[in-house]
Amino acid sequence: MTAEAETAARLARHASTEKQQHFESNFLKDVEKYETWDSVEIGRAFPGKLKFKVKQEDVLHYNVAMGETDPLMVDAKAAAEMSPTGELIQHPLFIVQVAFYCIENGPGSWIRSPGARNPGQKIELFEPFKVGEEIAMTVVAYDRWIRRGKHYITDKLDFHNETGVLKATWWLTLIIPPNREGILRFAKM
Amino acid sequence: MLKKIRFSEVQVGDELPPVEQYVTQDVIDKYAVTSLDYNPVHTNQDWCTRAQVFGMPCTVGHGMFTQSLMASVPIRAWGAGSATFRSMEAKFTKAVAVGTLLTCTGKVKELHPIGPGRNFVVLELQALDPAHTVMGIATASIGLPD
Repeated sequence: MTAEAETAARLARHASTEKQQHFESNFLKDVEKYETWDSVEIGRAFPGKLKFKVKQEDVLHYNVAMGETDPLMVDAKAAAEMSPTGELIQHPLFIVQVAFYCIENGPGSWIRSPGARNPGQKIELFEPFKVGEEIAMTVVAYDRWIRRGKHYITDKLDFHNETGVLKATWWLTLIIPPNREGILRFAKM
Repeated sequence: MLKKIRFSEVQVGDELPPVEQYVTQDVIDKYAVTSLDYNPVHTNQDWCTRAQVFGMPCTVGHGMFTQSLMASVPIRAWGAGSATFRSMEAKFTKAVAVGTLLTCTGKVKELHPIGPGRNFVVLELQALDPAHTVMGIATASIGLPD
């Protein structure tokens, strides 16, 4: 078994939700399709490739993975009785799962770049996602810059439900290789 | 028993109980699956040995896991039903190598008594390794019940 196959098998043991079971876990597979720092047109806006239908299992998995034990976050019955929303309360960074799902290998796919580094993130949350909502994400290429020889890039991600309510905004920034050649160099290691 | 706190019970300078977590490969794997961030720098030991993205021949934890763990500080201190996140801005200063014990701390920096239903606090959060090296810092605005 190759190292990649061993990694995939090890990760698959933790995948329990429908989305996790169908999501490609090998980020080196589609690397030729990923956007690159030098090819992104700043200011362009695209819808995310996929929409995220919020399920209770999605929220629960994130909360449990973070080690939360508050009944309002991990016990659906307790949440139905006592949570302000009548649902499991989401961990505030649940938005990470939504973003990676919606981007997949479409617009904004540079977030999957091998060799990427995370310098910091800014997130605004306006109201929680609700179970049953279908979240559509807009990806706006917001900025890119070079500092100390590192290539930074930011997308502004807006998350709306099916009635157009803005749920959250994430200014997603990474340091990534400057071009396709740089990504492929990491991918082929 | 559910934890609950009100805005009137919080003071500037209050320090919240820290949250500790060993960032083992199993913890990283679970976070990769739940976040759908499968970058090999987090999951593939062999690839990391060759690529050394952070100058280390090992996997590293997700920055978003560190940010999530910092966010867990007020959730666990005040209860998920009380702490409503409005915004969070984080910076990561050092990669978290697999096996690191992360300790996340939180301190109340500002009170914003805007009005009923709109009051919020600003927290300063940190993620530290056992040598007290700062791995990440964050500022979070959190609404609290009246």
